[in-house]
Amino acid sequence: MRRTILALTVLMAPLGAFADTASATIKDIIDGHILPRFETLAAQSQLLAATAEQDCDPTSDALRTAYGAAFDAWVSASHLRIGPSEVNDRAFALAFWPDSRGTTPRTLGALLSEQDPIASSATDYAEVSIAARGFYALEFLLYDDALMAAGDATYHCQLIQTISADIAVTASDILAGWQDGYADTMLNPSEAGTYRSEEEVLQEMFKALTTGLEFTADTRLGRPLGTFDRPRPTRAEARRSGRSSRHVVLSLNALQDLALLLTGDDAALSETLTNRFDRALQQIESLGDPVFASVSEPKTRVKVEIIQTSIDAISADVSAQLGPKLGVTAGFNALDGD
Amino acid sequence: MKNPLLSTPALIVAFATPALAVEKADVLDTYADIAAAKYADSLATAQTLQAAVNALVAAPSAENLQAAKDAWLAARVPYQQTEVYRFGNAIVDDWEGKVNAWPLDEGLIDYVDASYSGPSDENAFAALNVIANPTFTLSGVEVDATEITPALLEETLQEADGIEANVATGYHAIEFLLWGQDLNGHGAGAGNRPWTDYAAGEACTNDNCDRRGAYLVAATDLLISDLEWMTAQWADDGAARAELTADADAGISAILTGMGSLSYGEVAGERMRLGVMLNDPEEEHSCFADNTHNDHYYDGLGVQNIYLGEYVRVDGRLVSGPSLADLVAETDAALDAEMQSKLSVTMMSLGQIKTAAEAGFAYDQMLERGNAAGEALIMGGVNSFIDQTRSIERVVTALEIDQIAIEGSDSLDDPEAVFQ
Repeated sequence: MRRTILALTVLMAPLGAFADTASATIKDIIDGHILPRFETLAAQSQLLAATAEQDCDPTSDALRTAYGAAFDAWVSASHLRIGPSEVNDRAFALAFWPDSRGTTPRTLGALLSEQDPIASSATDYAEVSIAARGFYALEFLLYDDALMAAGDATYHCQLIQTISADIAVTASDILAGWQDGYADTMLNPSEAGTYRSEEEVLQEMFKALTTGLEFTADTRLGRPLGTFDRPRPTRAEARRSGRSSRHVVLSLNALQDLALLLTGDDAALSETLTNRFDRALQQIESLGDPVFASVSEPKTRVKVEIIQTSIDAISADVSAQLGPKLGVTAGFNALDGD
Repeated sequence: MKNPLLSTPALIVAFATPALAVEKADVLDTYADIAAAKYADSLATAQTLQAAVNALVAAPSAENLQAAKDAWLAARVPYQQTEVYRFGNAIVDDWEGKVNAWPLDEGLIDYVDASYSGPSDENAFAALNVIANPTFTLSGVEVDATEITPALLEETLQEADGIEANVATGYHAIEFLLWGQDLNGHGAGAGNRPWTDYAAGEACTNDNCDRRGAYLVAATDLLISDLEWMTAQWADDGAARAELTADADAGISAILTGMGSLSYGEVAGERMRLGVMLNDPEEEHSCFADNTHNDHYYDGLGVQNIYLGEYVRVDGRLVSGPSLADLVAETDAALDAEMQSKLSVTMMSLGQIKTAAEAGFAYDQMLERGNAAGEALIMGGVNSFIDQTRSIERVVTALEIDQIAIEGSDSLDDPEAVFQ
């Protein structure tokens, strides 16, 4: 009997400690990582909408600056595809990319040539295809040689204002969703709730990390890389506004923050991951190529491949060390299809 | 029940051994047996399609075109149920693009309407039209396509220029050749290719009827040989079966990977939700034939019958055996009940899409901007697929087969040198 009791005690002790740590980790991530990101996104998006109301000239510095700041805020939150961002396709409405069939320019072109009256209000515009909504659609209207000047000038202006206003509404809806319920949902898992246990909450957060790393390596870098014989520089993300490399940096900064919060007080793992992230970030800085044009030249292409490898190495450490520490695995994500 | 006396001792033995564990190896055998049956059914129905296609080309008529279309629709029923074997089995993934690649830039193959956008930034060969052009240049290489053969389709045209939308082979290429483009947008009706696109001499419409017939025959022949190959991989001595059964835990993990990835990323995400969000009638899996409601339905059914270990063949025979459901029930009966219930809910919501479509509310109509009822129907399917994936993740956890070996990163080369 004594041995049984002893064994039980040993088993229970780490579980109890884990529960305390888990709930503290979850709270830290919500308060210190998730909420601030969506607060910034909502604020910068409001600013973008207000700026567009004042000045809808695609070449306007004020408009482009406000656009850049709001887009930065989105990329820094783009790995958090959880709860409120998944309601009513909000995240997709902010960011439809990659667009492998050229749907965004085609849909915008149709709206401009038909002067579709749906662009007269942000409320109505929420019905429009996600291809013509959000930051990537706005990029075409502000930076694409053809689409920045296409159609009737008054309608073009209205379209920029409406898309900006629609972004602001969507961003503020996501923030409200977190503040008015979803943060509590994650803080209080229950048998009848979305999350049944703290492990399931941690798994969701862990999945945001692994999926974010996968997206940055395979899509943000992988799409322009293409193959050695057929590099695809025109597939680089937001290349028209010169933001491709910036997005990799912003996403890695955000993912590093999340990774370290998940790591908690494990100093050794924390150091390993910090080194890994720092290395990838230094490599991007040293590349000095804002739109990954270098993928076409064998000599410089290898540098982009190495950055991708460095991010894959972060993923490997995260899966092999952080996952087991948290007691979770990545599960399924939206990139699992083909 | 022919010999009740004989079966009685067996029953006694069964009751006397309470811990009749479900063996993972037996679950894997059932899974492989069902794969063999599904691919054999896909092959048999494709052979029926082949006979109908040959009849159409030999004796073009409206009736023979309709017969070929009917055969194509029937062939999709078993094939879509095999899609759950993707993602978990590398051998299936490496092969799948040849038979079911989608979406396609159909202008590569044949004539298209003026509204088709032509060569795009993404694909310079989106409007190549091989049927009208016996010779052309592809990525700097002169191609002789005077004779349209399975080899030309498979080796030269498929994924030409490294672009996935250049789909030259498989079900959807054949679908395009039978139905033609669906030019009805969000309105009622599927593609409406005239049978005279295959007619001889003066009666031929849209030119090059002989080359169109040759393309259709070559694509169908290729589908048959591809399905024959995959059916053989699941035979008793097949490579797919050997790979699956080499390690029991990895095999169970492969089953769950296929169920989860097909449900979530592929069907719920790429095929269903994206179409609703883009309001694009081309964003349907079978956009020429308007058969998308069935594509989704049979994908869902494939996930369900793999879990339950029961597949009804196209001739009505049942293939069944020890199942993943049995294995889960033994570990956690409540979780098995949850999983079964989620799978049933998905089939109900996919059934609602299917019945609405069959009653005249086509899938491309559901995708129209502002069509709230259509969006609700499709999102019902999406949400149930997403919900069942959560339960699949719980099954992964419960069976403790989640710790798949992940390659360490120590073996990576030192990349710093390149930057110095």
